Amino acid sequence: MSCSPFDLRDYLFDELAEEKRRQVDQHVRSCGGCHEELERLRITHSTLLTLREEEVPQRIGFVSDKVFEPSGLRRVWQTFWNSSAKLGFASAAMVSVALLLFTFFRQAPAMSSGVPVYTSRIEAQVAARVSAAVEKAVTESETRQSGKTAALLAAAEQRFERQRETDMLNVRQSFEVLQKHYNVRENLIARYEPPREMK
Amino acid sequence: MIFRAVEDPDLIRKARRGDVEAYNLLISRWEKRVYNYLLRIVGDREDALDLSQDVFLKAYQNLRKLDDPARFAPWLFRIAHNEAFSSFRKRRPEGETVPQSDFAGDDIPANVSPAFPIELSIAVTTALGKLHADQREAVILKIYQGFKFEEMAEILSCPVSTVKSRLYTALDVLKTQLAPAKSRGVT
Repeated sequence: MSCSPFDLRDYLFDELAEEKRRQVDQHVRSCGGCHEELERLRITHSTLLTLREEEVPQRIGFVSDKVFEPSGLRRVWQTFWNSSAKLGFASAAMVSVALLLFTFFRQAPAMSSGVPVYTSRIEAQVAARVSAAVEKAVTESETRQSGKTAALLAAAEQRFERQRETDMLNVRQSFEVLQKHYNVRENLIARYEPPREMK
Repeated sequence: MIFRAVEDPDLIRKARRGDVEAYNLLISRWEKRVYNYLLRIVGDREDALDLSQDVFLKAYQNLRKLDDPARFAPWLFRIAHNEAFSSFRKRRPEGETVPQSDFAGDDIPANVSPAFPIELSIAVTTALGKLHADQREAVILKIYQGFKFEEMAEILSCPVSTVKSRLYTALDVLKTQLAPAKSRGVT
């Protein structure tokens, strides 16, 4: 059993960090048991390495044959499917597009069976109120308009009456003036005496 | 103009664009390691070569799935590991599961050519053959292929603690098995 601070087999296979290797080095120098154990491991390791590698009896190689090579489109397609990152990006893009389409083109949610009756009742009430309001507004407007018309007619009649009175006064005065002129003429004619030489 | 060595990620990028020659250059860099890994797993040269070709073909077909070209080695050996165990499953009769001891004991690769004294090579091969399949693969990946524990965990698709457990249990067995052989054959 080794008393080394770290496994001597990790040391042998160079799987220890530099600091740990230094500690094992120092320990092995001062510990006879661990020194012997490490030597046994090294001998076993070097014995195993005496079994050398063989040469390959026949070279392995491939030839390029256009018939068997994938087309450019197929290569792009394979590259796409073989890349998890590209697949993930494409999936995210598709989900985004689907969300956008759903947001912009979705229809109003369907109502339950009782809701249309309630809605039609509301619509009838609204229509009745609107009709009443319109009728009232029209009546008020007509009333206002007829009042204005009556006032205008009254004012026009007054103006006409004043004008008529003024005209009648003028006519009367003119008639009186003519009457006076006539009277004066009649008087003059009556008092006229022909001259004596003419007799 | 700045010259630099063409590295694996450069070749991988070219191969991804359909440059077969770049991929062949990449194969030439890795075929020996992959072949020897498979040879020590399956124990047969012909099978190891066939599997190696399958591994590199599958790697080419899936090269675009490799996220980080710097992690090419563990990714390639993960394919090799899967191909090797897939071939073992195909060899088994239908409905029968692959026992973990399938690689050990009697199925020692007998036709691996020795590069060192024959006795020592036989001793190493025998000792490796006595290991559990998982333990033997851990030894191959660590000692013969030089992978780090994290890379081994990636290749074998298991936690680092499992990888270490398999490797260190195997090492204890090998230490016992090979100690006399070392004294006989290697100074």
